[in-house]
Amino acid sequence: MLKTQTFSLNFGPQHPATHGVFQILLTLDGETIVKAEPICGYLHRGIEKLAEARTYTQVIPYTDRLDYLAAMLMNMGYVQAVEKLAQIEVPERAEYLRVITGELSRLTSHVLTTGVYALDIGGITGFFLCFREREKMMDLLEEISGSRMTVSYMRIGGVADDAPEGWLDKVDKFMDEMPGYIDEYDALITGNEIFQARTKHVGVLTQEQAISYSLSGPVLRSTGVNYDLRKAHPYSIYDRFDFEVPLGERGDCFDRYRCRVLEMRQSLRIIKQAIEQIKEIDGPIMAKVPKMFKPPKGEVYHEIESSKGILGYSVVSDGSNKPYRVHVRRPSFINLGYIDEMCRGWKVADVVAILGSIDIVLGEVDC
Amino acid sequence: MFGRGLLKGLQVTWKEFWTPKFTVQYPEEKHPVPARFHGRFVLDADKCIACNLCANACPNRVINIVTAKVGTKKYLTNYVMNIQYCLFCGLCVEACNKDAIHFSDDFGMTQYFYKNIPLVLVDRVAPEAPPEDAESKAPADATDKAAKKTAAAKAKGTEG
Ligand code: SF4
Ligand code: SF4
Repeated sequence: MLKTQTFSLNFGPQHPATHGVFQILLTLDGETIVKAEPICGYLHRGIEKLAEARTYTQVIPYTDRLDYLAAMLMNMGYVQAVEKLAQIEVPERAEYLRVITGELSRLTSHVLTTGVYALDIGGITGFFLCFREREKMMDLLEEISGSRMTVSYMRIGGVADDAPEGWLDKVDKFMDEMPGYIDEYDALITGNEIFQARTKHVGVLTQEQAISYSLSGPVLRSTGVNYDLRKAHPYSIYDRFDFEVPLGERGDCFDRYRCRVLEMRQSLRIIKQAIEQIKEIDGPIMAKVPKMFKPPKGEVYHEIESSKGILGYSVVSDGSNKPYRVHVRRPSFINLGYIDEMCRGWKVADVVAILGSIDIVLGEVDC
Repeated sequence: MFGRGLLKGLQVTWKEFWTPKFTVQYPEEKHPVPARFHGRFVLDADKCIACNLCANACPNRVINIVTAKVGTKKYLTNYVMNIQYCLFCGLCVEACNKDAIHFSDDFGMTQYFYKNIPLVLVDRVAPEAPPEDAESKAPADATDKAAKKTAAAKAKGTEG
């Protein structure tokens, strides 16, 4: 028998397939992975610490920079946490606008992940295809918030601005077109034989593993665990919408991908319903929040279902106008925790498939 | 069937080939931006009362305001934004209750030299005497305008 020796390979930190500045130190036996050690922190900007030196409102633009692919949801988690702390009642119209823009943001994130995942596997057309729709959705977000990615649209007590004239109809029209586009992804990416061969039965997670590592989002649901915060503990006004939680069966890379594509269709449903309902609601988009905003002393933890999983904000207030401490439970970071076991025994090329299927954003991992 | 995936993929390529193209010949043509676009800042110096609200609202201390005392009133002499630290979040625009600072649709803010990056929105000298009443305000306004002109010329010079 030939004697072999393990060696280490640095995968990243500057590798396009790591979706940012992220390093995996692979220990290889030939092509087979013996150990995969994730090393993060290359993008650490100390956002939690920065928050301590800023007023509550001034933290909002920083939350955008966590998961910049679904910045709206990052805003939403934070403002809702602060609202919970200060017990602010948000006007209904603002809640609807939050849901519509938040779900749009989730769509942009999922569309991008779908495209980038196709690219990871080697299908560049899928990437371009997804960017086509993403651009249109970003245009919609730009129209309402003024920015494309780092939107800073939500405010403590409401949203920054009402929807411009005709915007809701535009979104509604686009949501009618979107299922056709998703069918295209299904035809081109999901149905692709190579794509399926590369992702099916790869990086399998069991339900027990997913729960014990506190994974969340599509990564958790791909194993068949029915846990979506929008259904399990409805926050905002999510209990008013009729939608399903798509689940996977095997918990492999393909299921994780498919969960996202199915989730897109549910987001469309939510947006359509929200637009239908918001038309009857007229009123303010901001609650009465004093200019010098000082929440009472206390501590709060609030979590929402972001595009990557459960996003939690823990905010501690000492009664001043600046948060004493802000901690963010970042889903990407926690989902990454299981990468070692998921990669073991697979080949180097599969690492790309596994990492892509978890859908990490390094802004969020390093925070 | 063997190769069905390939055919399916080529189908998309074929369809896309015939759809209208969106390419914009960039520097000559510009893509229209929505009304709320967060581009370069513009300041209406006549409306600005140098109250510092915008500077206080800013999370990154981007805005620097220098005032001079003319008589009993504050007079804005310098309004500089260190735009390299700006998050384009719009909190300053929201904070201003005189409606003086706005976003414009200009997104071409690149500069060749680092020193040219700060956005000088106002750079003028304070008038010697306070504009006492409506009659004597006119000449002060005139000097104001002249000062603004030089400031604009200066700003242009540094931008080019
Ligand atoms: S946009 Fe935001 S970061 Fe930029 S100057 Fe205004 S408040 Fe400051
Ligand atoms: S808040 Fe408005 S009026 Fe006050 S200093 Fe800023 S731009 Fe001028």
